[in-house]
Amino acid sequence: MTTLKIEQVSRTFPARHGNAPTRALEPTDLTIGNNDFVTILGPSGCGKSTLLRIVAGLDRPTGGRVTLDGREVTGPGADRGMVFQSYTLFPWLTVRENIAFGLRERGVPQAERYKIADAFIRQVGLSGFENHWPKQLSGGMQQRTAIARALANDPKILLLDEPFGALDNQTRALMQEMLLGIWERDQKTVLFVTHDIEEAIFLGSRVVVMSARPGRIKAEIAVDLPHPRSYKIKTTPEFVQLKERLVEEIRTEALKVAEHA
Amino acid sequence: MRPLDPVTSKQRAAYGLAFFVLFVALWSWATFGGHVSKTFLANPLTMVQEGVELLSKHGFLFDIGMTIWRVLGGFVLAAIIAVPLGVLMGAYKPVEAFLEPFVSFARYLPASAFIPLLILWAGIGELQKLLVIFIGSVFQIILMIAVTVGATRRDLVEAAYTLGARDRGIIRRVLLPSSAPEIAEILRLVLGWAWTYVIVAELIGSSSGIGHMITDSQALLNTGQIIFGIIVIGLIGLVSDFLFKAFNAWLFPWKLA
Repeated sequence: MTTLKIEQVSRTFPARHGNAPTRALEPTDLTIGNNDFVTILGPSGCGKSTLLRIVAGLDRPTGGRVTLDGREVTGPGADRGMVFQSYTLFPWLTVRENIAFGLRERGVPQAERYKIADAFIRQVGLSGFENHWPKQLSGGMQQRTAIARALANDPKILLLDEPFGALDNQTRALMQEMLLGIWERDQKTVLFVTHDIEEAIFLGSRVVVMSARPGRIKAEIAVDLPHPRSYKIKTTPEFVQLKERLVEEIRTEALKVAEHA
Repeated sequence: MRPLDPVTSKQRAAYGLAFFVLFVALWSWATFGGHVSKTFLANPLTMVQEGVELLSKHGFLFDIGMTIWRVLGGFVLAAIIAVPLGVLMGAYKPVEAFLEPFVSFARYLPASAFIPLLILWAGIGELQKLLVIFIGSVFQIILMIAVTVGATRRDLVEAAYTLGARDRGIIRRVLLPSSAPEIAEILRLVLGWAWTYVIVAELIGSSSGIGHMITDSQALLNTGQIIFGIIVIGLIGLVSDFLFKAFNAWLFPWKLA
């Protein structure tokens, strides 16, 4: 059982060049239960990535705390796998070696870690590319490898920071289906950050809407669409209704940002 | 010809060779045509004859061997010390803050100016030659490697942390492999500079080596031998550079993929 608790977490970036300090994140509370798929939706600059980085342990909160199964997060660790928006495969390692990286850090023997890696390679549909260098892969393939790399470590929670943000629309849709398929099959606790409304609804069991400057949680909307979900669900009335509601929520926030810019 | 248009490898080789031909042609025109006095510049043919004589009668091969061993010896010594130090400086900011100002200062100390001191300290034996190369190379390598390692992509380091890597793992399995091709390039570059230091070291207080032969030839006004010596250095540099490049390409296939 996995429970992630975000309690009164805030982040203020210190003043620079005489500017006032930036309040990136107001005190925020959020609880994510076992096998939850929570998407955090918000315009750019709403602190959603900051929140995710704090959960990952890559950034420290100014106030509050994050606990995973009761243990406070003080730094990055293998129990919280992360997929970044930028392509972060290690260019000097092959696809298989990249996926086995975390296992290697844990001291798993080579034969075993390659066995595990190969299973994930099949799962993300990269069979035949085991020995390719990241440079030889398309953006979508690189992100699939990155997802497999995070999953191979068997983290308690998977954190994704706009992982499909740099991909074209068609590839993005396929990647969403693949990720959702993995979640439906294997059940994982997932926290997924995005600015794409459709993506947030399609993937999430719950959409957390964040407001901009200072960033804080504005609304939480349950997505009661049945599983397994196929891409066809995106045109159902229920989906469209949810989308309309979220468009309104996000629009007001985007307008606020535009006015301040 | 258009900006940034590539050339085929055949064309590249042909163009490269063409300049050497042009160079020798100009040299021949200046010397055979009598435009430059023999005293100042030997013609290509004389140079080759002098070279053959050097190799067959004066044991010039031994001098070449001595010079190569000095360059490699001093360079390897410098690399053994400088690479780990540079990596440490790049990885740990306090170490960098501690050493960087001194290394930056030491980098500007001309190696050749140390020769009189080094003769005083280490005599005129091999150790002194190695030390000149060492001083000339070690600070350059440290500084460049520190910069390279320090510029490792942050997102790769963060990714490794979220995969459970600890400090040792970050250094050994992220910072080192990601900087390795750059480190190899730095070593290739500095090896080239080491060649200029060795000749200077051999010009003073030496009884063997290419530099020594060049000073001897100067006393005899034998410009053919001097030029032959210089060309030999150039050729060795070209070959070592080529080998280094091929070795790097073999070592880092992921760079080229």
